[in-house]
Amino acid sequence: MTIVVTGVGAVTALGGTARTTFERIALGERGLRELSLFDPGEVRSKVVAEVVDLAMPSDPSVSRTSELALLAAREAIADAKLDVRSRRVGLVLGGTTAGMFETESILATLLSTEARRGGPADPRREAALSRMLSHPLSAPTDRLVKELGPFARARSLSSACSSGANALAVAATWLELGVVDAVLCGAADSLCRVIVSGFSALGALDPNGARPFDARRRGLTLGEGAGMLVLERSADAARESVVCTLLGWGARSEAHHITNPEATGAAPLAAMAAALERAGLAPSDIDYVNAHGTGTPLNDPMEARALARLFSDDVGRVPVSSQKGMIGHTLAAAGAIEAVITALAIERGIVPPTAGLEEVDPECAHLRHVTSAESRPIGAAISSSFGFGGMDAALVFGHRERVAPVSRKRRGIVVTGMSVVTPGGIVEGTSVADVPASLAQGAAVVIPDGALDAEKARRLDRTSRIGAIACGRALGPVAPGVGVVLGVAFGAVDATAEFMRRLRDKGPRMVRPAEFPSLVPSSPAGYVSIYLGLDGPALVVADLAVSGECAVLQACELIAAGDVDRMCAGAVEERSAIVEEVLSVVFASGGATSRREGGAVVALAAADAGVPALARLGDIVSFANGSSDGVMAGLPPPPEEGGIVVLGTEHAEELVLASSWSTCPRIVCAGACGEHEAAGSVAIAVAAAKVARGDAKAALFVGSSRGWGYAGTVWPPDPAP
Amino acid sequence: MPSPALTSEIKALLVSELNLSGRDPATIADDAPLFGEGGLGLDSLDALQIAMLVEERFAVRVPEGDEARPIFRSVSTLAEFIERSKSS
Repeated sequence: MTIVVTGVGAVTALGGTARTTFERIALGERGLRELSLFDPGEVRSKVVAEVVDLAMPSDPSVSRTSELALLAAREAIADAKLDVRSRRVGLVLGGTTAGMFETESILATLLSTEARRGGPADPRREAALSRMLSHPLSAPTDRLVKELGPFARARSLSSACSSGANALAVAATWLELGVVDAVLCGAADSLCRVIVSGFSALGALDPNGARPFDARRRGLTLGEGAGMLVLERSADAARESVVCTLLGWGARSEAHHITNPEATGAAPLAAMAAALERAGLAPSDIDYVNAHGTGTPLNDPMEARALARLFSDDVGRVPVSSQKGMIGHTLAAAGAIEAVITALAIERGIVPPTAGLEEVDPECAHLRHVTSAESRPIGAAISSSFGFGGMDAALVFGHRERVAPVSRKRRGIVVTGMSVVTPGGIVEGTSVADVPASLAQGAAVVIPDGALDAEKARRLDRTSRIGAIACGRALGPVAPGVGVVLGVAFGAVDATAEFMRRLRDKGPRMVRPAEFPSLVPSSPAGYVSIYLGLDGPALVVADLAVSGECAVLQACELIAAGDVDRMCAGAVEERSAIVEEVLSVVFASGGATSRREGGAVVALAAADAGVPALARLGDIVSFANGSSDGVMAGLPPPPEEGGIVVLGTEHAEELVLASSWSTCPRIVCAGACGEHEAAGSVAIAVAAAKVARGDAKAALFVGSSRGWGYAGTVWPPDPAP
Repeated sequence: MPSPALTSEIKALLVSELNLSGRDPATIADDAPLFGEGGLGLDSLDALQIAMLVEERFAVRVPEGDEARPIFRSVSTLAEFIERSKSS
């Protein structure tokens, strides 16, 4: 099966559409200017690639990021002539900042009214709190669903600066697995104070503007924007809308350091090799590389080394360029915008140039740099993206005539381990089945001495610590190639508030550089991969109260599509005074909510990977935007006896009643694990443990929130052949 | 020789701010290398964090790049830099 790109959209500092952006890039224009969106204070560079003429709607709950995403999405949909309502269309949106720009002013209000916390209701404070729901990673996706949907399924993900590339990879697996007929996919990020001061504190900004591969380069230039694409199976696509083909994709983790790339470029090389293998191509088939090329001192030589190893003697033939000196580093959006640029380069037979490159760094001199656009046919091209935490991804695009090799067979999924972290204790293996019988003690998880290696874990924030414990215990000994997907609904809200407090009180020179990476939503997956040495794909997904179910489904998709053999997947949530206050205002629950913290992880493997199985997972069904009609009918019925239903919270009861499992005994986990957004992952771990231990013959897990939901079944493992 | 009070303060700062939990500040030798093997094993992200802390606590700006290298060699060199900058 061949996947084709049938529509593109982009908003960048160089233009409001994909094709304007491409044409100005081809002319070598640079969209860099002094930051005007806000006053960043004393930072290393005020030069940014800002979208200056963005008209924001008057609705204060709308984020800048979501507006950028929406504009690019509308363009891509129109370009593809896609009717979202008449077909099964999916949405995958990557991000890092989401509503951060708006959150900054909300947090400023919260900090200035802090004295009144817990006192009589303060209208200013309550108004600010109620707008906090524009903050989570899932909020821009929610807006696109509302404005453009309904979609058959929707996903919010982050792998830092490779989010855009991973959004396309996830979209491609959906088409391969046949769960949708078309996907709108991409990523968006807007500039904000946290990002500008954070990158400044890391010493990563070049005051002269980014100069990728140049000997004098001193760092990157931050940008903002969005890139969106429509992908379809070639058999379903109108021939005249095909821009190019998406032939391969690959993701790997460096498991090395939260901010510094591993110098040999082994993981980027592995990601590119995996993408080529999937595409059925050899390096000699590649006619262009759209590099990550940030312009930081460490990235560019690392990338040049990875390309030298990939192409070996042929490296001098392949044109390489990066547009980050023109449209800036748009973080999550970069991988998606660069996918758009690569697609248009192939369609038009134009190799886009690198801007800002005058004196080539000797360490990058073996690459064939392109400093002004070249007309030449491109049969196939690679676009690479590398993210904080060492989350690396590569995409291979081909000319519209180039088809992909035969599709991989869809693989079954087994559970090989599980672990639950609750305020009552940390439980692993089939003993997880006993968790619902206990009662949560206190609100906070107690991490016992020795549960983590103190030196290795010193940079991990609380969410990452809980995640590292849960993943480590669910997995057992780590094998090569294992990946991780963590569901994180809110992320590090309190740490962001603390960072903002220092920024406000002491200025951008005094923010803590080592704490900045934790504010990026993908960090828990990055830190877990570094701590445990997991070198497979690493992602964070977010879906508010069903983030755990979302993470397990995401991991299953990657395994089923053949991208990875083993994953650990689940959700983690830390206590947050701000989130608890937000929830009490939004749900008018008054006073402190009963929200606690914790999480759970299941270790998953392909049924044919030869890992001893504790249980087998049936297909997980899902819905977005309220359209749950008929979804539960897609589940297999329970066995005649011995079937149970396991829920994180009681919210999903209605869906259970609509299923053939309605008369099975029900277990609710929230009382034992605490009420929080990761409770659904506890339910999945408990369901698997109950079946694995023989307490039940099969189990159904269901989670739902705000019209989104997931349901799946667990069965005893197939007898060994 | 930098003042023992200053070196002690720096050691305590490193342990608390870089989250070197379990490490007793008194066991850090004045001339032990901060970076790489055989010392505290810190990295470039820690260097940025230390530079920020020194500026916040002692109101002196640590230079960047090659100039910073000799300053960041050990607790002693860092203390000497702070004393030198304070008195100038």
